[in-house]
Amino acid sequence: MAEAKPNKPSGAVQTTGHAWDGDLQEFNNPLPRWWVWAFYATVVFAVVYWILYPAWPIGRSYTKGVMNNITFKEGDKEVTMHWNTRALLWRDMQTGPEAVKQRRYMDQVANADYQQIVSDPKMMGFVQSVGKVLFADNCAACHGSGGQGKIGLFPNLSDDAWLWGGSLEDIHATISQGRHGYMPSFRATFSAAQVEQVSDYVLSLSGHQVDPASAAAGKAMFNGQGGGCYYCHGENGKGMKSQGSANLTDSIWTIADVPGQGTLTGKRDVVAQVILNGVHRQMPNWNGRLSATEIKLLTVYVHNVLGVGK
Amino acid sequence: MAQLQSIAAPEQYNYDIVRKFTIMALFWGILGMSAGLYAALELAFPAFNLDIAQITFGRLRPVHTTLVIFGFGGCALFATSYYVVQRTCQARLWGSALANFTFWGWQAVLALGALSYMWGYSQGREYAEFPWPIDILIAVVWVAYLLIYVQTLRRRSQPHIYVANWFYLGFILATALLHIFNNLAVPVGMSSMASYSAFAGVQDAMTQWWYGHNAVGFFLTAAFLGMMYYFVPKQAGRPVYSYRLSIIHFWALVFLYMWAGAHHLHWTALPDWTSTLAATFSIMLLLPSWGGMINGIMTLSGAWEKLRTDPIMLFLITALSFYGMATFEGPLMSLKSVNALSHYTDWTIGHVHSGALGWVAMITFGSMYHLVPRLYDTKIHSIRLIYVHFWLASIGIVLYITSMWVAGIGQGLLLRGFDDYGNLAYSFIETVTFLHQPYVWRALGGAFFLSGVLVMAYNTWRTIANGKREAAEVEARLSAKLARAWYRRVTWSNQE
Repeated sequence: MAEAKPNKPSGAVQTTGHAWDGDLQEFNNPLPRWWVWAFYATVVFAVVYWILYPAWPIGRSYTKGVMNNITFKEGDKEVTMHWNTRALLWRDMQTGPEAVKQRRYMDQVANADYQQIVSDPKMMGFVQSVGKVLFADNCAACHGSGGQGKIGLFPNLSDDAWLWGGSLEDIHATISQGRHGYMPSFRATFSAAQVEQVSDYVLSLSGHQVDPASAAAGKAMFNGQGGGCYYCHGENGKGMKSQGSANLTDSIWTIADVPGQGTLTGKRDVVAQVILNGVHRQMPNWNGRLSATEIKLLTVYVHNVLGVGK
Repeated sequence: MAQLQSIAAPEQYNYDIVRKFTIMALFWGILGMSAGLYAALELAFPAFNLDIAQITFGRLRPVHTTLVIFGFGGCALFATSYYVVQRTCQARLWGSALANFTFWGWQAVLALGALSYMWGYSQGREYAEFPWPIDILIAVVWVAYLLIYVQTLRRRSQPHIYVANWFYLGFILATALLHIFNNLAVPVGMSSMASYSAFAGVQDAMTQWWYGHNAVGFFLTAAFLGMMYYFVPKQAGRPVYSYRLSIIHFWALVFLYMWAGAHHLHWTALPDWTSTLAATFSIMLLLPSWGGMINGIMTLSGAWEKLRTDPIMLFLITALSFYGMATFEGPLMSLKSVNALSHYTDWTIGHVHSGALGWVAMITFGSMYHLVPRLYDTKIHSIRLIYVHFWLASIGIVLYITSMWVAGIGQGLLLRGFDDYGNLAYSFIETVTFLHQPYVWRALGGAFFLSGVLVMAYNTWRTIANGKREAAEVEARLSAKLARAWYRRVTWSNQE
């Protein structure tokens, strides 16, 4: 290891004459010319860059750069200033080609009412395009990418059943104000047997074949002071839009996964769980997060592209 | 003669500390790369979280980066720098006990760091996640390291300081500076792991990326260039190509690197002038970086046939090629317009891995294959397995980098796609689902790379075992000889 192997410098180049650790030496080759010139080129590039753009700090200010001014509008006033990222963003948002295209449609939608929007194929094309991304970025996290929802958690937006109403006005109100779905827990109200009876009655409303005597007892509690379910769900169980209460007579379930259960006992159990635990869920309002026009666009998208109007 | 030297060598140099760090480099490398592979699988298949908080991506990722950078890379740098400084100064390492302190201190830093991240204690500064008590330990260990290094250089019996040592010393000094300033913080309390940074807002971000980029510049570049400057000429048996180039590119590199960190913060609240300076200094950094590559590769000029016969040379030269590629890509990505596309995408991850896997790991593998047989005074167990490792690693790197180019450039383009109405053409989640396939390929690349390291660990283990057995045999023969000599003398004296 330590024996020094004699090194033969190639050609005329000499080593520096130093040797370390036996055989470690250095040739003294000149710097490659292309390397030197390429380095100078990067320096020239940097200097040109410094001249054109904000670059060197001087006291509390900095060199602004030349021949690179940006003009944009601030209110009604036209402003021209040196190149900087904020001004660049302003200009892009105001006069960039995509922004100009988008604003034409945005203005059109902002000035139209819902009837005008849904009857205009061009505006509906815009709704399809912008709604897909608006929905995916803001709504899909809960309601699913196609608005299919998730039983037990988030309502399905792609069917015809609506807790808070499915008209354009209703959906607009839901998005702009948010919703708070609430059903109290009946754990302290009902005995275990009574919970079963009310569950049987609820299932019978959507045509399930249950024990008639049990369902009749359940009905008495549902429509009487004992349970008072009718306050919100109505005497015939059809639900009330003002309460956001579910229609129990269709076969659409948003909380209890009735279709997912194979046996009648299983179906009764999942209904019983809702009665015992109650419901507490909230959709935030989007007023502060989305512009009025964006809410309008989302409303039409949810109504006409995903939901009842499709 | 050779045997006498081998017995004398441990006396002359402190090899014990080099052996310890070398073995731990492999240990942390395997652990850190496994964490990386698992994190990659979690990105492709989130179910791998297994709902265990300690191994979720957010906690496993700093475990991965810390163990590969400071564990694998750090221990390899300690090992090689302690080896190189002794051999090129022809002096025994100063301060045996202190050197042992740097070893145990550094191992404690790594183990405590990884565990604290998994249990949710992190400073939240990239590559500087260590909570403040560990930061203090790092600072102490590092000052001890600096002291040992400088004192060893001072007791050198060579008139000149070899170039590798400039790079190592530059790395040690700069890392101390970076670590201390980036971690200036006020602890919430003596019994709390949390602390408040001394800086606020964009200045805090600027400090962090001044640190972050120079961690790459000095820890992962300058230091490994030091490694390169010893092991490439040593393995090639040829003088370094150009002494002049080594001086010029060393000073250019250390001067220019310090300015470049802000390119991690383009298009943010950072002032535009700071952004410009960072971009231009990054561009000017290209050729000084390439100086190291040229000097390493041209050292082999006139002996290219070694690439056909020596797999260690293959590792070293491939590492330099990746170094050249990564240092070309970096300045490109530091330009604001390119950065607008690349930033916040996996292109960045691909770039850092072409440096980390291609340059840092490959140069380390090559150096360790050179180093280990010499530390244990034996031959490498299997040359064929070095080839196997080389190809596993190379295939892994190529899969990794190309899949991240696809993922990064692809997502960057999706994020800025517009449709005929001037609307964004893709929702954010569409750009994420697009990543799934490249993520699977990336994990596969990582698996190739890790399996190569496992082959290396086996080869190293067998080499060390051979070395120990041979040493035991030599010792046995020696004592047998001594015993015979003693017996003869006894019998002679009896005859008299």
